Amino acid sequence: MIEYLSVLAAMALINVVLAVSFNLVLGYGGLVSIAHPIFFALGAYASGLLARDLGMPVPLAILAGGAIAMISSFALSVPALRVSGDYMVITSLGFQLALVHIITNVEFTGAAGGLTGIPSAFEGPIRGQLGLFAIAVFAIACVAIVRWLMHGPYGRAVTAMRNDEQALESLGRSPMAIKVMLFAMACGMAGVVGGFYAHHFLYLTPEQFGTFASTALLTMVVVGGAATTWGPVLGAILITLLPEAIRFLDMPISVMAPAQGVMFSVLVLIFMYLRPQGLLGGARAGGGVSSWYGSRAERRVNGGVKP
Amino acid sequence: MLSAPILLQLLWTGLAMSSAYCLFAVAFALVLKVNQVWNFAQPALFIAAYYSMYAAWQGAGLPTWVGLALSLAVTVFLAALLEWYGFRVFRNRRSASLTFFIFTMVVSQLAVSLAELFVGTDARALQSSVMSPIHLVGVVAISEWDLLALATTAVLMLALWLLMSFTRFGKQMTAVADNPELAALYGINVSRCYLHSMMLAALLVMAGAYFIGTKAAIVPSSPLNQFLIFAVIAALIAGIGRVFAAGVAAVALSLFQAFSILVIPSRWQIMLVYILIFVCILLFPQGVRRNPRRLAAVEPAPVSQTSVPQP
Repeated sequence: MIEYLSVLAAMALINVVLAVSFNLVLGYGGLVSIAHPIFFALGAYASGLLARDLGMPVPLAILAGGAIAMISSFALSVPALRVSGDYMVITSLGFQLALVHIITNVEFTGAAGGLTGIPSAFEGPIRGQLGLFAIAVFAIACVAIVRWLMHGPYGRAVTAMRNDEQALESLGRSPMAIKVMLFAMACGMAGVVGGFYAHHFLYLTPEQFGTFASTALLTMVVVGGAATTWGPVLGAILITLLPEAIRFLDMPISVMAPAQGVMFSVLVLIFMYLRPQGLLGGARAGGGVSSWYGSRAERRVNGGVKP
Repeated sequence: MLSAPILLQLLWTGLAMSSAYCLFAVAFALVLKVNQVWNFAQPALFIAAYYSMYAAWQGAGLPTWVGLALSLAVTVFLAALLEWYGFRVFRNRRSASLTFFIFTMVVSQLAVSLAELFVGTDARALQSSVMSPIHLVGVVAISEWDLLALATTAVLMLALWLLMSFTRFGKQMTAVADNPELAALYGINVSRCYLHSMMLAALLVMAGAYFIGTKAAIVPSSPLNQFLIFAVIAALIAGIGRVFAAGVAAVALSLFQAFSILVIPSRWQIMLVYILIFVCILLFPQGVRRNPRRLAAVEPAPVSQTSVPQP
């Protein structure tokens, strides 16, 4: 039972990092990228392979995984954001599917069978607890960094970029630079936590990082409250725990994954219609889907309607 | 060894396969032009069409025409639901385009999950055999499926062109695509035009699903992972607002993919489509034939600012 709870807690914390970092791009930045799970995958695979095949120390491999994910993010953000934010969603979908296809078809990643033999970050009888502690520390650090960043001058610049790019540009700031940096930070976090995941669970399969994972992440952010600090944290914990209720129904594996997919998609739709601000967003707190709508001035011009 | 018969066969096969992709691309481009929505929910329409035909033929053993009629009804109804309870709601709320993106993507993912839940993740074809009688014309093998797919696509494209160019109904849709506020001022029912374009797109997607499913077996995620991307690239290459050019782009893409078998192993062929996304966005984000005067009219403005709220 303790083992089960420990695994669940580790997954919840990993999802917290993923949701908080995805919220940087989607919630605060207003940029829809479907591909966030693939940066998680890049970090996980890079870290696992560097440690397994090149004998790199695990902490260094995790950092290298994060760096690789961060650098790879430029390959997506620079071409996609050069034209228009609208293209981001299309490019990110293609980027994600392409990388999943590559991981599934090359030998050194273990192909469709998955990557095994990944060295553990810790050894000994309390390996799991130590790993969990490390993930918890990183998750807390990520939440704190995002909160600090988004509540400071940089956060105001990001909000300005999201609401009115031209106005921001007129003040001498580059919206493109902010977008690319935001994207790199978020992908770096996802990459590092991918490394944690690889060295904690010691096994990776490409199917974990497909469009289903994107929907799950989207659910965490939209349900919790996009562009809020604590919304994605709550969303990640809820979305990690919710499928466990289904698990106790003893359904076959082939039914479990699609059932979770249905649950996540329906949840996002319900929240988009009935509570677009998410669980923790509100009229006073701000946040949620409403934060993508633009500045107050713009809202006034457009008649102050709901998102 | 490259030889004329091989090249001719590849050309013919690529052309025949392009019919379904052409239908998807035109459906996508039509909704993008008229409704000004990147309809990433198109895979949901495909899944509804495909699996209703599958249920009718493989499950209930109904005649072909009943399956086609049932599938058409289901797909058109789903398209209407998407417009009534999806796009219209968000349009009336003047939601940001991001909301539309998320909504359409989630609807597609929901459709994929539902299909996987009820039909499973195995590849399934619409009929028990996907073999079609073949005739040799010179050195080229032409199947009856090829002829049916090409002829149906040609007829549907011609009908859509006539509809858009010469009927009041089509002209109203074009007017709404150009300027919904002005169209509303002239008394055009903008809401109905949005609905009609979705229904027409549903018809095209259903026809495409039929041709795909009678040629090969597919898994529920194929429409999202493969066919949608194809349609999006074709729409991008054609340039936003150019519906029939998207169809031509889809044919060109399909031929490109067919000939790539000469140099790329089949398992990597799909990568070409993904790479093309980057090429399109980097080199010609406004389509291959830029025309500033036309582009000014069809630039995809944010939905929240261009669309007319409907009752």
